[in-house]
Amino acid sequence: MCLGIPAKVVKIEESNFGKVDYLGTKVKTNLSLIEDVKIGDWVIVHAGFAISKLNEEEAKETLLMLRELASQQATEDKKNDVEARKNNQKQRI
Amino acid sequence: MEEFRDKRVIQALLVELEKKTRALPSSIRIMEVCGTHTMTVHRYGLKKLLENIGVEMISGPGCPVCITPNEIHEAAIELVTKKKNFILTTFGDMTRVPSRKGSLQTEVPASGSVVKIVYSPEESLEQARSNPEKNVVFFGVGFETTIPAIALTVREAFFEGLTNFSILSALWLIPPPLKAIVEAKEIAIDGFLYPGHVSAIIGEKPYQFIAEDYSIPGAIAGFEPSDMLLGISSILDQIHQGKAMVSNEYSRVVRPTGNPKALAVMEEMLETKNAYWRGLGLIPLSGLKLKKKYSNYDAENKFNLNIKGGSGDLPGCRCGEVLQGVISPPQCSLFAKKCNPNSPYGPCMVSFEGACFVHYKYNRGLNE
Repeated sequence: MCLGIPAKVVKIEESNFGKVDYLGTKVKTNLSLIEDVKIGDWVIVHAGFAISKLNEEEAKETLLMLRELASQQATEDKKNDVEARKNNQKQRI
Repeated sequence: MEEFRDKRVIQALLVELEKKTRALPSSIRIMEVCGTHTMTVHRYGLKKLLENIGVEMISGPGCPVCITPNEIHEAAIELVTKKKNFILTTFGDMTRVPSRKGSLQTEVPASGSVVKIVYSPEESLEQARSNPEKNVVFFGVGFETTIPAIALTVREAFFEGLTNFSILSALWLIPPPLKAIVEAKEIAIDGFLYPGHVSAIIGEKPYQFIAEDYSIPGAIAGFEPSDMLLGISSILDQIHQGKAMVSNEYSRVVRPTGNPKALAVMEEMLETKNAYWRGLGLIPLSGLKLKKKYSNYDAENKFNLNIKGGSGDLPGCRCGEVLQGVISPPQCSLFAKKCNPNSPYGPCMVSFEGACFVHYKYNRGLNE
């Protein structure tokens, strides 16, 4: 069961607890497994415990790469659409 | 963050993958170890899309509810049905697993006893604090993702000096069954997709032996569809280059050395033990139990449970074979007939991450 959700730390209370914001809901979470946790950090939460901090740099890199792929694909799709339309016109003539 | 599920991204990644598989002589078999990966594969229709480009995804044993054998469920049922004033707490799907003695959901607790479903092990601790006259047992099941949380909870209880709290543990390690599956050679595996959140805890090192000793490529992957495709892409690259390694395709969450604090608390509280897995049988050093110092918090010890391993599945249930990747769910004659989510016959149909449940939920309408 690897189910863990990304959530933002919004409050840090004493003795290792805090609150994270998951899609608007504030959830009590045990933060003791995270080194140097700060408000605003994104963490992965599993069974009421934060198990890892999201690395923003790595996340940005991955997102950038995926966005590029998406736009390349969009260009491909447009090209294919144009081709398909040209072929349709040819057939009609 | 929606990019990870964006249709164009998935399409683009599949196009990339197809270029890579085209150059290979035969189809590639990849085992996704973790139940959450199985869910992603089916939920986003990746299974068929990948099959079309020559990648076959096989489900592995990474579903802790599925691999916890009957004898442990039965010990939990014994506790709450025979002993008075017990509060047995556990995660939801554990209560619905049918054993030879029924399930936690159906069996009637003894006088003053009750089964309570919790989301976090912390909640069981709260039960113990607010009910000092009751014995609270947390039936704690999980892999390395969950184990540190359970260990921390026991640690808290220990330092608080709580005497009415203990855990019935079913704690499993991911690397040993992978070794068992590879050694058994019952199915050919060309690559492994390693579980992202287990890896957040343990890092890359524990999987190295699969690359080094067995030359099988692998990639740690996250749980969005594009995460899995990125992982598969890395495996295909490794196959092309004729090299095997453990690549980390979930670097936004997984550090190469894992989570040191989590590893430290596991080291402090737990030690390895040989364990019986449903389907895979006895695997050496594949489980964890509380160290002797904490034996008062180990329900097996505290209540002399005497659990004997190797009980096997209920007659006709082939969950064990599904967990090893030897058969796929529809190959079981009970699938979708006697065994379905409303009345599951075995744990693979109970758990939301069980291969049978996932298959039933996302595939049943198609070509079965």
